[in-house]
Amino acid sequence: MEPKVLFEIGSISITEPLFFTWLIMAILVIGGYILTRNLQTIPKGMQCLVELAVEGIEKLVSTDLGEEGRPFIPLIFMIAAFVLFSNVYGVLPGAYSPTGDLTTTAALAVLVYVMGSVAAIRKTGFKAWIKGFFEPYWIMFPINIAGEVSQVVSHAFRLYGNVFGGGILLGIVYMLVPYIVPVPLLAWFGVFMGVIQAAVFTMLAVAYIQLKIG
Amino acid sequence: MMEIAIVVAAIAIGSGIALLAGGMVGIGESYVAGKAVEGIARQPEAEGPIRTTMIIGQAISESGAIYALAVVLLLIFTVVNPLVSRLLELL
Repeated sequence: MEPKVLFEIGSISITEPLFFTWLIMAILVIGGYILTRNLQTIPKGMQCLVELAVEGIEKLVSTDLGEEGRPFIPLIFMIAAFVLFSNVYGVLPGAYSPTGDLTTTAALAVLVYVMGSVAAIRKTGFKAWIKGFFEPYWIMFPINIAGEVSQVVSHAFRLYGNVFGGGILLGIVYMLVPYIVPVPLLAWFGVFMGVIQAAVFTMLAVAYIQLKIG
Repeated sequence: MMEIAIVVAAIAIGSGIALLAGGMVGIGESYVAGKAVEGIARQPEAEGPIRTTMIIGQAISESGAIYALAVVLLLIFTVVNPLVSRLLELL
């Protein structure tokens, strides 16, 4: 299951997921710069779309986290945009979804976990955070640790499994019937499931942060 | 050679059995969706929160199927494939 190495710079090998992660990051950064360069009070054109997206994320975060969730809006928006773009990007011919690699999704899941823990420490203090592992009785400590680990693992594996499994199924269909038949499947696995899984990943990120600081 | 063939066959059967989890999760998630439809039909104004809760609940109950999928993928890509290439060498 090792990723394909595209080319090497010095001793660093640039693998497929790495390359496409940076490509999508570049698309997002340049797109964000172009779309926010000339903001007007009365929005028109693409600004409406961007405002709709930002307001959607704002509503999602503020209904779950309330006023103290405001600092998380950029993070959640970044996760949503990155996951959505990389899921749907796999539809293009010759392209590769970085979320179809376990390292990318694991990095995002660990990021969400660390952010939630840091917010919990800042809110209640280090001692209360440590004490949370020994709730309700100290004997529950291993179970609490297992719960934390399985939360991160399932968060990462859910996205990875969906994207990778869809990719394998598409590959088999390509092998059997290379023309026309894969198109609706591509729309289903690439676009529809990609959007749904991006929404699920974002909602779960918000829910996990809420569990930590709620 | 026979031993390797038996191991590969056993893993194939085991993978098939593991994917039963997918069917079970399908039943469970359909049940959640049906209940959500009932809730929305009774209270159409609560559609937004019901949908959010439904999607989060379904996503969490999907974990079982995802674990099964991960186990099957690991078995096939890290155990079966090397064994099969070994088998082909022996042949």
